[in-house]
Amino acid sequence: MGVVMPLNAGTAQTRTQQVVNEDSTDIALFVRSSQDDMLGWNRQRIVDALLRETFVDRDTAEKISRDIEVTIQAGRVKTITGPLIREMVNAKLLEMGLEEARRMHTRLGVPLYDVDQLLVQHNKENANVPHGPEATNLTLAEGIKKEYALLQVFTPDVADAHLSGDLHLHDLGFIDRPYCSGQSLEYIKKFGLNLPHALSMAKPAKHAEVLLAHMVKFAASLQSHFAGAIGWDAINLFYAPYLEELSDDGVRQLAQMMIYEFSQQAVARGGQAIFSDVNIYWEVPKHFVDVPAIGPGGLYTGKTYGEYEKQAQRFAWALFEVYKEGDAAGRPFFFPKPLVHITEKFFKTDGHMDFLHHICEVASVKGNTYFVFDRGDTAKISECCRLSFKLEASDLEDAKQPWKMRYSALQNITINLPRLAFRAKGDDTKLFALLTEKIQLAAKAHGQKKKFIERLMSLGKGGPLSLLAMDLDGEPYLKLHRCSYLIGMVGLNELIRVHLGQELHDSDASIKFGLKVIAHMNIVCNKLAETLGMKFVLEQTPAESTAFRFAKLDLAHFSKEAEKVVQGNREKGEVYYSNSTLFNVGATMSPIARVEKEGLFHPLIEAGSITHLWLGEAQPDKEALATFIINVFKHTQNDQIAFSPEFTACLACGKTSRGLSDACPYCHSKDVDGITRITGYFTKISSWNKGKLGELHDRYRNNDRFNN
Amino acid sequence: MLTPQALSSCSDMACLPPIKGFLETSFIDWPGKLCAILFLGGCNFRCPFCHNHPLVLAPEKMEDIPFTEILYRLAERKNWLAGVCISGGEPTLSPGLPNLITQLKAEGWAIKLDTNGSRPEVLERLLADKLLDMVAMDVKAPLVQEKYERCAGSQVDLAAIQKSIDLLQHSLIPHEFRMTIAPALHTEEDILVWGQQFDHSRSRLTLQNFNPRTTLDVEFGKEHFDPEIFSRLSAMINIKYRPVTRKVL
Repeated sequence: MGVVMPLNAGTAQTRTQQVVNEDSTDIALFVRSSQDDMLGWNRQRIVDALLRETFVDRDTAEKISRDIEVTIQAGRVKTITGPLIREMVNAKLLEMGLEEARRMHTRLGVPLYDVDQLLVQHNKENANVPHGPEATNLTLAEGIKKEYALLQVFTPDVADAHLSGDLHLHDLGFIDRPYCSGQSLEYIKKFGLNLPHALSMAKPAKHAEVLLAHMVKFAASLQSHFAGAIGWDAINLFYAPYLEELSDDGVRQLAQMMIYEFSQQAVARGGQAIFSDVNIYWEVPKHFVDVPAIGPGGLYTGKTYGEYEKQAQRFAWALFEVYKEGDAAGRPFFFPKPLVHITEKFFKTDGHMDFLHHICEVASVKGNTYFVFDRGDTAKISECCRLSFKLEASDLEDAKQPWKMRYSALQNITINLPRLAFRAKGDDTKLFALLTEKIQLAAKAHGQKKKFIERLMSLGKGGPLSLLAMDLDGEPYLKLHRCSYLIGMVGLNELIRVHLGQELHDSDASIKFGLKVIAHMNIVCNKLAETLGMKFVLEQTPAESTAFRFAKLDLAHFSKEAEKVVQGNREKGEVYYSNSTLFNVGATMSPIARVEKEGLFHPLIEAGSITHLWLGEAQPDKEALATFIINVFKHTQNDQIAFSPEFTACLACGKTSRGLSDACPYCHSKDVDGITRITGYFTKISSWNKGKLGELHDRYRNNDRFNN
Repeated sequence: MLTPQALSSCSDMACLPPIKGFLETSFIDWPGKLCAILFLGGCNFRCPFCHNHPLVLAPEKMEDIPFTEILYRLAERKNWLAGVCISGGEPTLSPGLPNLITQLKAEGWAIKLDTNGSRPEVLERLLADKLLDMVAMDVKAPLVQEKYERCAGSQVDLAAIQKSIDLLQHSLIPHEFRMTIAPALHTEEDILVWGQQFDHSRSRLTLQNFNPRTTLDVEFGKEHFDPEIFSRLSAMINIKYRPVTRKVL
């Protein structure tokens, strides 16, 4: 945390300055301030800062400033920096036992060495962040905001729990933003692109292509106000009123534009593509059938959405044709992720088998399709790696005016489950007590983030979150009172292994105990929700880097226990815990057993779950996959599944082949990169963190025929 | 050459052949269907590109999976699986094959057989007894003695192969002829000629690109058709010889 240099101070320049001043006999002291200025020495500045920033009394502040002056004079320094003086003052405060004042007076930033490393080396915490000047800006800013969050937003007990790895506060670098956002295209269809502080304002789109342009820009604005995913509900349906004038080629062209726009948006925040999801329905969802449709110019078309089924289907079909083809090199598109909802009504809608085969073929050839199962009367919109929001009564009321439909989770906190088992030492009562304690701490942390966001939101349209305060429909875009607060888990499988000596896939008894753990989490969340008036819901954390971080920290601090259960390759440092409630990724389990058994946990995890099936190089038959999907819907409780094939992209000849190979099968070049799903999205394997590389190696790909 | 009797400690036809491998769910082995696969040991061919060579060369070293356990695991998946595929090795060498299939049929399972077609008498009996619902036959090359034997890595009775092809083409059950191709074994012309051997209105034809992993013949090399050439060859076979009726779910 200690910082001595402002980010804009070049070392070379400072040294030159010192040489010049050494010739001078005068002891004039220049202070390089962080305001791009050189000021003469003035002791009073120390006093002013202490009085402004801390509760130290004037006499103490005066004494400190005189002491510092003596030290500096004795050191015969010619040039000194503001940050250095600040650190000296902090040391003094510490010496005097004024710990709280030191905390308030501290400086946030990054050591010179770290910045140097960062500008050159690739940061792999998030595989969706490429390497480049925008990305390093993002990392630097995140670094400071993260420190700020841990010092200022959260209390020390919460911060310590995060730092020690008892739990993980996600996206601390985005402390001043909510976590994720799901919305309806209707908002921009009705109000146009009318964003606070925008340089120009656009009326509602009259043409499909303009609507797409609005959507992409709105998504980019949202990305800069949310930490995570930006999801769109029933996208094919809401485009439908704009498609009547378009030929099939026109619809196909629009689908292609949409997918390329989202997959090539790697120019926005931190050079990051917008983590975007599009929800797709073959049928017109029940709650939209009688809703008056909005069309070109933001006007009602005089029809209901129920009458747009055919247009909506045309668009859905075209989107998957584009996914099937992949990009110019035949690689799968990484974004937007298409989530197809499989519902009771899906099976009653004409043409559903053809569409099912179509999306299964995409799942087989490129892997993009997510199959989301909404059984009975549940309606959901899904986004992020596996987050979904269930529509409740109030939401279904909003559905009559779909522009009002928007959902946000304010923050996501994950609990390190294996560590609880290390501490409980086989004692059930202790295990559940510890679990309760950590959930309570997570709830406390959520309350602290909520308070902070409320403070920013209270500044209204003149504040930093003006976009979220925008109230074109009479309510702020971010409906704070309806936000959810996510509580996730990592390593249920390893908790079970420590506590029972078996893994989840080993026996029914371990599954049963696992269910008890997750059910307990659920109950505690519900109780806390009642007492604190906040909606705490369980989520399967994607844990792209958290599963690695927890494993690493436990190997360091609980080495004896952790060595026995951590997954991956310890020699190479490629260690991880199994994600959320997932079974060991390497267990030889048939896809049916995995979907069935992992699915037992899904009803307990309200904010969404997924089962991943790794295909490797096998390219399944689309009809066989369709049968599988129908059975998952009918015979399991599984919430969502995705099939993940693997690809090798050749950097020499530009061609893409199936499976992960060391050399390109076309041109034999070794300059290749693998592509497959890391957690909930496709990305290049060269950008993965070590934990995920360990997991990739272990993944069972349904091909080990002789090992029972 | 391996005799059928050598495959099992029991030469009695009432015996069940030892089951050496079991994959509970396959998305790729039965066109259009989800199926389970049973692997039987032993083979009379020595195809240099074979991937299942432990099954071919030393099945006795592999552990048997009890049939009762397989029946139990299959029963759990009744809702999901459309059938059971019996593969190998070469399953028709196992004297207990009809018995195995009869027992699976009694449990209500549809059966797909993978065979190299070298034992038409077994195939004929299975077809006559209505024990098969689908057959995939590997036809390794155009029916030319020298070519075929090079691809099969052993002596081959081509008349037997032809008889199996005829049996399938005259049967009413869905079937597929497939060939694994590699540049070391097949020319483009071979592939065209291969395609002309079949009655295209009745049979499904599939090419498989040789995958240079662990092969039976370690000297076989890594040469395989460039994926683009393979797609072209595959498309050529598919377009020229696409079956007229395709079974759609």
